[in-house]
Parts: sequence; C-alpha cells; structure tokens
Amino acid sequence: MDVLVQIVASGLTLGAMYAVSTVGLSLVYGSLNMLNMAHGAILTIGGYAAYAVSQQLGWPAPLGFLAAIVVGALIGLLIFAAAARPLLKSRNFETNVFIATIGVGAVLENVVLKLFGPYAKPQPLNIPGGVRVGAVLIPYQNIAILGVAIAMMAIVALLLQRSRAGRAIRATAQNREAAELMGVHVHGVYAQVLALSGALAAVSGVMISSLATLSPTMGGDPMLKAFIICVVAGLGNTYGAVAAAMVIGLLEAATQYLLGVRFGFALLLLLVIAVLIWRPSGFFGKARIVRL
Amino acid sequence: MTRPAPLVAIKNVTAGYGGLVVLDNLSLDIAPGEFVAIVGPNGHGKSTLLKTISGLVPASRGSIALAGVDITHKRPDRIVAAGIVHVPQGDMLFADMTVLENLRMGAYLPQAAAESGRRLEEVFALLPKLRDRRGQIASTLSGGERRMTGIGRGLMTGGKVLMLDEPSLGLAPIVIDQIYELVDRLKASGRTIVLVEENAARIFERADRVCLLDNGRFVWSGGGAELMRRPELLETYLGG
Repeated sequence: MDVLVQIVASGLTLGAMYAVSTVGLSLVYGSLNMLNMAHGAILTIGGYAAYAVSQQLGWPAPLGFLAAIVVGALIGLLIFAAAARPLLKSRNFETNVFIATIGVGAVLENVVLKLFGPYAKPQPLNIPGGVRVGAVLIPYQNIAILGVAIAMMAIVALLLQRSRAGRAIRATAQNREAAELMGVHVHGVYAQVLALSGALAAVSGVMISSLATLSPTMGGDPMLKAFIICVVAGLGNTYGAVAAAMVIGLLEAATQYLLGVRFGFALLLLLVIAVLIWRPSGFFGKARIVRL
Repeated sequence: MTRPAPLVAIKNVTAGYGGLVVLDNLSLDIAPGEFVAIVGPNGHGKSTLLKTISGLVPASRGSIALAGVDITHKRPDRIVAAGIVHVPQGDMLFADMTVLENLRMGAYLPQAAAESGRRLEEVFALLPKLRDRRGQIASTLSGGERRMTGIGRGLMTGGKVLMLDEPSLGLAPIVIDQIYELVDRLKASGRTIVLVEENAARIFERADRVCLLDNGRFVWSGGGAELMRRPELLETYLGG
C-alpha cells in the first residue's frame, strides 16, 4: 500500500512536469511542423531565470517564477525570429529548422554556462515540509508542482478553446492556407505559439530543477522525454500528449520503485519502439479519413 | 455607354512557383456585381490566378487593385480584410472543428466578428443544411456539406468579391445543381463573383463573362451564350 502511494505520488509529479514541457513541444510541432531542438535550452534558462531573480537579486519567489515565464516566452520569440522565420520559405523547412534549433540550443546552453558556471546549484523555489499519507511523506513541493501543472494545463486549454488567439492557433495547425484566407496572420500565430511554448518550457524547468538541481545541461534529459511522449501520443496531438505524459510519469515511477532507477529510461525507450511498431502514428494519432 | 470603373483591376500580372511561370502577363478587369467565369484545362493557371489575387502566390510582375487601391504585395490576411474572399479548391476546412466553428473562423477579423451574428443567420438562411449540421465535426461531413461549409465560411468574411475555385469538383450532379442555385442567389444579392471551373455548361448560361485561360494567358473572353456557339473554341480548349 505504501509503495503504491509512493509510486502514485511521484508518478503524478513526474507526469505533471513532463506534461508541461511536452505540451509546448507538441503545440509547436502541431502548428509549424517544427521540432524545436532548443526546447531543452529554454527549460534550462527558465530554471536559471528563477534562480537569478529569487537567489541573486533576492526578490520574492513568485517574482522568480514570473521571471522564468517571461524569459521563456522571450526566448521562444527569439527562436522564431532567429531560426524559424528565416527558414519558413525554404524547401525543406522541417529538416532545416531542426538543424537550426540544435544550433540555437547550443548557443543558449553556452550562454548559461558562461553566466552561471558549470557547477550544479540548488533551485531556491522550493517549499519545505510535506504531508504524511500512511508511512509515506509527500513533499509539499510535489503537491505544488502538480497544482501548478494542472493550472498551466487549464490555462492552455482555455486559451486554445475559448480565446480568439487560440482559435487562430488551432485553425493554423489544421490548415495553414485556409487560416490565411480567413484573415489569420500566420507568422503572428507562429510567434505566439513559440512564445507560449517557451513559457511552458521555462515553468517545467523551474519544476524539474526544484526537485533535482540547476545545471547548464539539465534540459537535455527532459527534452528527450518530451520527444518520447510526443511520439507515443502522436506528434502534434496536444491533448494526447498530456495523457501520455501522465501515463509515462506513472510508469517511470513504478519502474524505478519496483525494478530500480536504472531501468526507468530503458523502459521508456522500449515503449517508444513498441508504439512505433504497433501504432506508427502514435496512440492518439489518427489516420484522417477524407470523403469527397 | 461606358463600363463602370473596375472593382478588381488585374494588370499585366506574371506569377508562378519558383522559376516556373504559370500566369504570363495577364490582365483582367472585373466590374462591381459582375459574374466572371474563368475556364480552361487543368494546370493552366486558373487556381494560380485566384491564389495570386488572394495573396497566397506572389505576383512577380504587374499589379492588382481593389476599388483603386493597390493590393499586389499585401499579405493574404490583409487582402481578406480589404474585401476579397477566396474559397479554395477542395474546401480546405478546419477538419477537427465543428461546422459552426468553421463558420466562426470566417468571421475571425474584427470587422467581420462585429457582424458575425447577422451573417451567421444569413448563411443559415442560404444553406439551411448547415444549421442542422452545425455541431458536426467537419471531417465527418459529406462532400456536398463540406462544399457548403467552405462557401458559408467564405461568406462569413463579408467580402465584396467572392472567388470560388471549382465549386462543382467531385460532387454528384444533383449537389452541383444545389451549389449553382446558391451561386445564383449570391449573384442576385449583388455580389461580385469570380468562379473557376474546368468545364461546365452550367456556368455558360449564368456568367456575365466567360474567360478562357490557356497556358497562363486569356485566349478568348465574351458571353457564355457566344462561347456555346463557338464549337471550335470548346473543341480546342475544353475538349469538346
């Protein structure tokens, strides 16, 4: 029973963190057909932005959190302006932008290295203490992460479903030319999606670093997992990505507790292989039926 | 009698994809309220002409003006805002949205959003079937319903000039008749219509003017009835 509580508690926390960063990645792929390889770097920068504001400047924690969101969104805009926009008209946009964002990511990571040094630092945005369920202590930090993640997901869902900007994002993702013909300025939509994705990545970076530590390369591992979740869910399927993130978080926690930490990642990769063999377009990806 | 000032003036436009020239120094004036049909074989520039007017394909030479205002190098969203609406070939609906959401996307621009309640009623009055289907996801509609949703979505923009790209494509004859009855009503309401078809006798009796497009140039233009009396033109350009 205690093991189950432990697995569910840490699995939900992991899943929540994965969901926040995966949704950003998925939105960008869904709207632009762009695999953003600088996503991990934004995640790192988000963590450091919170650190810089609340530790180095000594401002209150909520401001640190806000700073991460703002900096993440700005980096997202930077990636649009520096990598995506110049390549939009190129013949092989998907491949070119993939390579370009690897470059942008490397530059960003080295900026962090130069500014903050190579050594791991603790993330000051951390709530001490916890609540006891049976023999298991669930840290408040985990509960806060879950709460913030749910709030972020709710905000994103409301934005996509209810707002004018959200409708433009969905329309552009479903049919770019038709969206343009209805008066949507698609470059504006792309910029907004990258800014939103950057903000989500930064929040995820704050969460992840608050459970582990800050380091200039901390974004790599979560980004890889976000890609795995995207593939399992079906690339570009945002709601599927949230569901897949939660399932994978729980699965990873179960593996770590029952089989050992070193099997966690191996099992994820195994899962991707299985999904790609069994359902190549992902769990929630659908083969679209076109009737004439 | 002088012709009224053109609503759309296309002057010496050349356009294409990459190095490929599809429209070759092409000119066309469209009067307010006129129904112009552009016919010709596939792959000779009909869709490209509409895409060039709506800004999806840039013109490399020449100019396009709407009511005297140059729109040649404007973005597609600005051209819709100026009043030209392009209903693309194959509908290009937002597949995962409902019919109603698709129609609402037509009223995306602020000036259209302000009128969206009234226009939605107009569209439902013209296309009553859409009212019944409004909650249905677009990808599950029949071909005729998809076409109606595409046209309805275009009408929601409130554009003065309606450009329809092959509205009969892939539809059963009885549904094509319904679509053309709709076109008649739109024409009667005073809209300016530019319609592209591969070859349809249905448009010869309706259009004020038929323009034959071949290899990126207009080779003939005149009344539809006149074209019907020119079997050699029909034979050469439209395959009989």
